[in-house]
Order: sequence, then structure tokens, then C-alpha cells
Amino acid sequence: MTAALPEPGRAGIGASSLRPDGPAKVTGTFPYAGDLALPGMLHARTLRSPHPRARIVGIDTSAALRVPGVAAVVTAADVPGVATYGLIGLDQPVFAATEARYAGEPVAAVAAVDARAARRALAAIQVDYEPLPPVTDPEAAMAPGAAPLHPDSPGYGPGGDHAGSGHPNIYRQIDIRHGDDPDLVGDVVVEDTYVFGMQDQAFLAPEAALITPAADGGIDMVTATQWLHSDREQIAACLGLPEELTRLTLGGVGGAFGGREDVTLQIHGALLALATGAPVRIAYDRVESFLGHPHRHPARMWFRHSATRDGELVAVQARVILDGGAYASSSVAVIGNAVTHAAGPYRVRAAHLYGASVRTNNPPCGAMRGFGVPQVTFGHEAQMDRLADALGMDPVELRARNALKAGDVLPMGVPIPGPMPARELVELVAARPLPPPLDPASPGVASGLALPGGRPAGADPARVRRGVGYALGIKNLLFSEGADDSSAARARLELGPDGVPRAWLHTACAEVGQGFVTIAGQIARTELAVEQIVLAPADTAVGSAGSTSASRQTWMSGGAVRGACAAVADRLLARVARALGLPPSVVEAPRRVLSLRDGEIIGPEVGARIPLAEALADGPVEAEYTHHHRRTERLDERGQGDAHVAYAAAAHRAVVDVDLDLGLVRVVSLALAQDCGTVLNPLSLTGQVEGGTAQGLGLAVMEELVTVDGVVVNPTFHDYLLPTIADVPDLDFVAVTYPQLDAPYGVKGVGEAPTGTATPAIVAAIRAAVGRDLRRVPVRPADLVMPGPTASAGAASPGGAETIGEAETIGGEDGHAG
Amino acid sequence: MTGTTAALHRPGTVGEATRVLAELGDADLLAGGTDLVPALRAGTRRPRAIVALRRVLELRTRGVGADGIVVGAGVTYAELAGWAPAPGLAATARAVGSAQIRNAGTVGGALGSANPRGDLLTFLTAADAQVLTCSARRGPRTVPLPDFLLAGRRRGELVTAVRIPPTHGPQVFLKIGGRQAAYPALVSCALVVDRADGRVGCAFGGVAATPPRARAAEQFALAEIDWSAVPTGARAQALARRFGELVTEAARSAAAQLPEGPRDPADYRWHAVGVLAARALARCLAAPAGAEGPAAEGRGGGTVAGS
Repeated sequence: MTAALPEPGRAGIGASSLRPDGPAKVTGTFPYAGDLALPGMLHARTLRSPHPRARIVGIDTSAALRVPGVAAVVTAADVPGVATYGLIGLDQPVFAATEARYAGEPVAAVAAVDARAARRALAAIQVDYEPLPPVTDPEAAMAPGAAPLHPDSPGYGPGGDHAGSGHPNIYRQIDIRHGDDPDLVGDVVVEDTYVFGMQDQAFLAPEAALITPAADGGIDMVTATQWLHSDREQIAACLGLPEELTRLTLGGVGGAFGGREDVTLQIHGALLALATGAPVRIAYDRVESFLGHPHRHPARMWFRHSATRDGELVAVQARVILDGGAYASSSVAVIGNAVTHAAGPYRVRAAHLYGASVRTNNPPCGAMRGFGVPQVTFGHEAQMDRLADALGMDPVELRARNALKAGDVLPMGVPIPGPMPARELVELVAARPLPPPLDPASPGVASGLALPGGRPAGADPARVRRGVGYALGIKNLLFSEGADDSSAARARLELGPDGVPRAWLHTACAEVGQGFVTIAGQIARTELAVEQIVLAPADTAVGSAGSTSASRQTWMSGGAVRGACAAVADRLLARVARALGLPPSVVEAPRRVLSLRDGEIIGPEVGARIPLAEALADGPVEAEYTHHHRRTERLDERGQGDAHVAYAAAAHRAVVDVDLDLGLVRVVSLALAQDCGTVLNPLSLTGQVEGGTAQGLGLAVMEELVTVDGVVVNPTFHDYLLPTIADVPDLDFVAVTYPQLDAPYGVKGVGEAPTGTATPAIVAAIRAAVGRDLRRVPVRPADLVMPGPTASAGAASPGGAETIGEAETIGGEDGHAG
Repeated sequence: MTGTTAALHRPGTVGEATRVLAELGDADLLAGGTDLVPALRAGTRRPRAIVALRRVLELRTRGVGADGIVVGAGVTYAELAGWAPAPGLAATARAVGSAQIRNAGTVGGALGSANPRGDLLTFLTAADAQVLTCSARRGPRTVPLPDFLLAGRRRGELVTAVRIPPTHGPQVFLKIGGRQAAYPALVSCALVVDRADGRVGCAFGGVAATPPRARAAEQFALAEIDWSAVPTGARAQALARRFGELVTEAARSAAAQLPEGPRDPADYRWHAVGVLAARALARCLAAPAGAEGPAAEGRGGGTVAGS
């Protein structure tokens, strides 16, 4: 890693340009949203329900208002506009009014002159709760006749058309039937049930916003979010303000991973700012952050795979139950992804894929890197290994043999668009050199650092066993099922105060760490042949950029920046053509003879060679462009339709060492081959896939937000463990770069695909080392060494083909606890 | 912090500190703040007064004498981590938390917080440590660590130091947790061997409210191991295995068991302390006599040490 780094801010696309915000982030001067302050601002804090389910009989805020220094207390009664909000359906109350539906649900918020007075006021608010028995088992919540947990909830999706699931606690259910005989079964059958724990995004900078009431009756808010315009829409509706008076600017975002796609504290802070007429800072600490945003959906999944005796996949059946928690968030879209990816990156003759996302009194779940796909990837990849085992086939060969290629028909009845190098990826990753075997004489082993559990665990190298595992997966890119999630950008070519030409770019794209600030500059340099880039703050004064999620911003906002820059270039060239007296045919299409190159406009055929500065002397040139992706379709009642814009594939190989006595796991090596499209910035790409891999590793062996009767019991970094540098090996990464032809420059989104495959590859490697059927992630040490249900193999569940899709058929057995 | 404002006192000597504590009657002590600050932020502690001890330089001393090693309550883990005269303590200190925690956390803090999973408590329990305290009214007092942990710090009392009696033999501290480094212990086990009289101190943490001693395992080691002719090979393996089984039994029958967590079932904890104990004994048996000290530390996972 000592390769020379390029100079920041010079290069166009394809170069490893450095992040413009990199030095500030590394040296600690970068202002995150939580660092913002204004003179005279008030400090806001949130009161949360301690009960997973309770009727709210009354709230008395009078004592809180008498606490010295308190400026305002707001509750549900103080919401002037719509009482509820949500990403897809408006079912989440700004504050719980009559019933709290999860432990941690906001009930009130206070603003005071300092944080201490605010906390004192929280303690003085009297909430009269009448606890109700929480429903924390999704199978119980979706059982026929189960009482509705949120009877007032509207339907979901555009126009509420995801409603009518037939059950009040099912956010959405999908039943995909594919093939002439959806219940076809091959010669060799494997089936099992899998359990997937709740992962948290665990971004490092907790939620924060600074809200200033404006003289025009509106508000100016600086906040850390993934999607400014979606926040604005929800905030304005709840405040009863017109959207144009609800102005948002992106604050410094310290990680997001889906956890900032939902509104959290924004409306609470805005209500307090309007109530007090003063700037309000509202921020979460670590515990509140764990309670405040939706998590990754826990899942219970049943799969049955069958194949011919020579290893051709015949049919896949699946039943996927996602626990959506108390409010909808993006559960209706997440289950769409989960079910449409349940057969994985494989050709199947028949498929019957059922899934439901369910309301419970657990914490709400929503978007997280992978968005429903990591859950099913864990399941289908475990199944592929079992199938390989049953067939006596090599797991890589089985995957390669059945891997989808462009044009193969998906279970949704449509061909998968290309490029789709799934087979190439799994073969590539299998061919990477393996790490050397454990060497007792090596310094790492001698010191214990390179043994499972690290130095203090004192593993005996003779009792450490190695395992190798593989996983292959696909992940859809961009928004699906008919969404037109366009991105807008504005570009201007102008002379700076120093007389040097520069490009000014304005988008609402949320930079959450993914590197759009770098890519946008590279694109503008490429299109406009200038070096200097000015990136305006991302805000709602420009059109929506859509969400920084779904692996979409390089494609969508990148496409918008490219389109805006190209339009600027066209206008400037036309202006120059006119000034040169070129014929109207050239003025209309000036690129016929003129082009921008290295700060000049050149046209050899017409003898033109004009410095950009001269061409801009008449004034700047500006253009706006909105990028759309190709249209997709909603799924029909049989789950058929062209639902996804495009896909990216990834394959991981994991090598692990397991301490056979203690069940501790060390991930020794990870190799990744990924389908990346055209690479715009190799360094940025590497950062994305390394981060995605590390997050998948965390889920495999340590990251789990644990709830007991609906209450999160480990909302701190002391108890919710993230992988450290000692846990994540160097990634042996191979980028496969076939261009995506319908994307700008041929790009594909890259951030999500590796998250889905890292987890199952690591679990497969652990299985190979210890010889146990591991049906649950994260894998816990006890799962590897203690006797119990985990140790016994065999089908855990009935769930026959004829009964699939019915709530009572699959017991939802926890693979570990049984 | 919620509800009230704590008054901060910053004494410069042990005398001043104990006088302040006597006057206040009720105050929280602040040293490294690794436990107190999170508790204040979470609102689980709401002291009326805080006595900050960083300026009390007497608490930050350490030394070795005929009656053993004395470590001041204000000594940090980072300071212990490289301290040659106390290799067992040093090895334990190196296993604590992250570098940041080791820089801030102190010996007195470990005793004051008495976290049942605290690494240092396990080692000190195995080492027969005594706690030295001082109060304005009653003067200095020396208490065996288990008694201190059971009763807690008395009102107005300040922990000034811990004393570890001298031993001559290997010392091992092992622990496991959720990742490769920088983790809180799930369970831990410490072994302190005195070759001179054949005694083996064995304690385990993370199972009960305070670290128990594995008395039956200690008796077994005393009876079965001749430290002048240390068994090797299959005999050593068999001894270590049986020793581990006895520690697992001690863990299973320990009083005041910690509540079972969703990720750490009790039977796994019992099993794991037995495995750690067997490994620890195997290391002690393999440690060559006379080669103890910092140089012997670090082999095969690294916490064999002697004093």
C-alpha cells in the first residue's frame, strides 16, 4: 500500500483522484452535522418509550416546562401538520400519541438552554403508560386472526397499493411462481431453515441536525441524511409548511449505510425551533442512535433446492419472513428485493418464492446496505453448499454450472440484463492463491495475534482448524418496481475570481462517505476540460438527487452531472461557433467541428484555438440536467415483471481458522471478484468493496443488535461489536469491468454487492472447518462447540411445496435455540 | 448529570482526598473515567459530588518490596503493561480493552467499579491480592480482595493501592471475547504459580458476580504437580485436561452466577473457563524454571509470565 497517490483534484474519470474532504476527515477538522453550532441555539433531547408496547393514558409536561432553562416541550399534540410520516407509507407517528409500539419510540422532545437542562426536563415529563403484551414473533403477528398492531395504519406504496396483503400485520407479501410446474422437484433435494440476526448500520457519527427558524415562517435545516428531498417532503407535511419554506442543506455525514434514509430527529428539532423561534441543535448519542434509526431486517427463511443427479438446478422454493418491526419504513421494498433475489444468481427451471415483511413490536427495520438481499444470499448460498455436498460435487463447480448469464430467464419471467459475469467471478475467485497454512513458527502465531481470539485467548495451534468457503450473489442496482428515481444536477462553466475557468456543480446528492464529491469532480473535468471544480453545498435549492442508496449515485447523480456538463459544453461551443460566424448547421451541432480540450476550444478544420477563459469572458454558461434510468415494472400477482433496472454480481472466497475448543473464529483471508462496470476511480472502488466486505464479515461473526421481549439490550459499542483492523484481513480484490451499456460511462454501483456475499462465504468456511450445519448468523462461539440443536443436522422444518406460503407451515424454528 | 449538577473536587494528596470524602460523605471518585463518564452520560449515576484523583500523585506510585508488589490506585493499565517487575500484572494490563482504555483506566477504577468481567479482578483474585484503603476517620486498612469486592468501598474510604504477595513462578492470564482485539472479556482465567511451595492460584471471571477461586482445581494441582520435576508430554496434557475439568465444575457450581446472555449461554461460559484454565496450566508446566520474567512472556499467545 505504498503506491504513490495522485495529486488531489486534478484528474478526470478513470484516475484514482483523492477525496477533496479526505485531509479534513483524517486530521479531524471536518465538520460533521453534530459539530454545528450557532450562538444562542437551544439544545434538544428526545423522550422515548421504555415499553415495547404500551397504551399512553396521558402525558403531563407541566413539570418539565417549569425546569429552569427549558424553552419548549413538544408532544404529538403539537404536530401542526400530518401526524405521521414514513419513507413509503405514512404510518409512523412523529410522536407516539395513544400507543407506543416499540421500545425507544419518541414520545416527546424538549429544547432548553443547555443539554443538562434538557435532560432534566425529560426526567420531569410524566407519561402514564399502560403496558400491553408486545408481539415480538413475526410468525405470531402474521398468524391468521392475529390482532392488528396498528389498526390506524394506511396502506403502503404509491397510492397505498401494497395494502390488501390480506392481513393487517403484513406490510407486504409476494408470491413468485415461475416455470411450467412451480412445484417441480429434482432428484436430489436439500431443505432447511435459516435465521438471520438484526444488524445495525452503526455509522460512526450519530444523527444530528441544526434548525434555524427563518423570517419568512419557514425553516433552514442542516442535517446528516441520505436523501434531502425525501426528508423535506416528510418534514414539510408534518410541520404543515410548504416545501419551498422547508429548506435543507446537507451537514457533514459520518456514514449512513441505509440508516439515514428514514427521518429520525429532523421533525422533532424543527417543531422545537418553530415553537421557540430560536435555532435548535438536536443530536443523538450512541445509545439513542442505536434506538433511533431502523435496522437491517432479521429474517427466518426456509429453502428447498433440488437438482438433477449431475448438478443442474431444477427448482428452488423459499419462504422468507422479514421482521419489519413496529413501523413500515421501507419494508415493502425490502421484501420485494428479498423475494426476487431468493433463487440467487442461478438459472432455475421452476421456482416458488414466497415472502412477507411483518409488523411486530420490535424496533423498526428498513434500509441497510444490501436491502433485503444479504438475508436471502445467506440462505441460498448455504443451500448451494448442501446441494454440492449431497451431489458429491465441488461447490465452485456447482455454482459455475448453474450461474446466470445475460439473457437467462429470472423467476420473475424476464431475462436478466447483461453484463452478468457470475460464472467468471466464482471461477476467478476460486483461482486466487490461497494463504499459506498456519505456521507455528511465524511471529503472528507465536504471539497469538494471528490465532482465533487474538493474543489473550491463547489458542493452541494444534487445535486450530482451517476452512475455505465460497459465495456467489447478485444485487439489483437503483430503485425497482416502477420507481422513477431520477437525479438532477446543475453545472456552470465560469471564470473564477482569479480569472481561471472553473466548473461549478450543484446537486442534492448526499455525500455519505461513498465518494460522490470525488467522482463529480472527475466527471466535470472530463466533460469540461477544466481543472478547478467548485462543488456547491448539497441542498434542496436544486432538484432531487434521489437517495444515496441502492448503489445508485455514481450512476444516477453521476449521469446527471455528466448530462449537465455536456449541455454546458454544447451551449458554450454553440456560442463560440456563432461568434466565429460558422454556419447555422454547426451552431446547432457545434461538436461537428469544435471540441473542448485542456482548457481550450479547438476546431482544427476551422482554424479555431480559443482559450476557455476567452470564450467565457462573455459570461458563464449554465445548464441543468435530470438523469432517468430505464423504466421498470411492478410485479404482478404471480410475481412476474421486469422489476429491476440492472444487477451487479460478486463472489467471495473466505478462509477462516477456528479454535476447535472455544469456537472462536479468525478470518484469515478474503478474496473478492466483483462485476464493477467501468471503473471511474480505482481507489474509491477499492474503498467501497473493502467496506462492504468488512460489514459482511461483521454480520457473519459478531454484529447483532439483540432484543429481549422487544427491548434492545446492547445499544453501545461496548456490547455491539464492530470488526476492527485486527479482524479484517487484506482483501484480494479482482475487478471485472464489462461496461453497463445503459449507464453513464458504463458504470455499475459497487457498494452493496460484496456485503451480501462476504457473510455466506465466511459462514461456509466455518462450516468447512468444524463440520456443523450453521443455520444462523451471526455465528456465535457456542454454536461451534456446545452440544445442542445446532450440532444436529437435518431438515428443521416442514414447509412442503404444497403448503408453502401459508403462515402456519413453517415453524420459524431458531436454528440455534431450537 | 441528569437532574443535578455534581460539584467537582480536585484534591492534591491522599490526606486531602480522604478529608474531602469525609466531609462530603457521599461522592463518586473519578480517575480514568472509563466507567464513570459513560455512566454519567447515560444517567445511571447521578452523584452530588465528584472527587477527581488525577492530581493525587501518591496514588500513581508503584514498587516492589519484601512483602510483595504494591501498585497505587492511580496507576494506569498502560503504565503496568510494560512493567518488568510484575509480569503477570503487565500481561493482564496488555489484554485490557483498547489502547485508549489502557491509557485512561486505572487499578483503583477496576476495584471501584468491580465489573464482574473486569480483567484485572480475575488476575488479582488469583494472586491473593490485598486492597489498601484509607479514610480520614479510621485511617489505613488492608482488606483481602474478595472481602473488598463483597462489601464494596466504605463510605468516606479511598482505595490507595493493591498489594500482591511475592510468588516465584509463572503467571498466566487468558481471556476471550467477541473479536480479535480490543474487546471486553466474555470470560477470563488467571493462574499464579508459586514454585517454592507448589501452590497454584486459579481464578476465573465472567461467570459470577465476583471472580471465584477454583479451590478443587488448586488442590489438585498442589497434590499432583511436583514443580521441581515438572511433568511433560502426555502426563502434562492429562493434568491440564483434568485441571480444566475441575475449573469447569467450579464455574458450574459458583454462587451468584451472572445472568445468561442471548449470545453467551451459561454452559458455554463454564466450558470456556475450563478450556482457558487447561491452557493456562499447560503453559505454566511448559514454562522453564528460572526463565521467568518478561522474556518468557509472549510465547504461543503470550501471557506466560513469572515473578
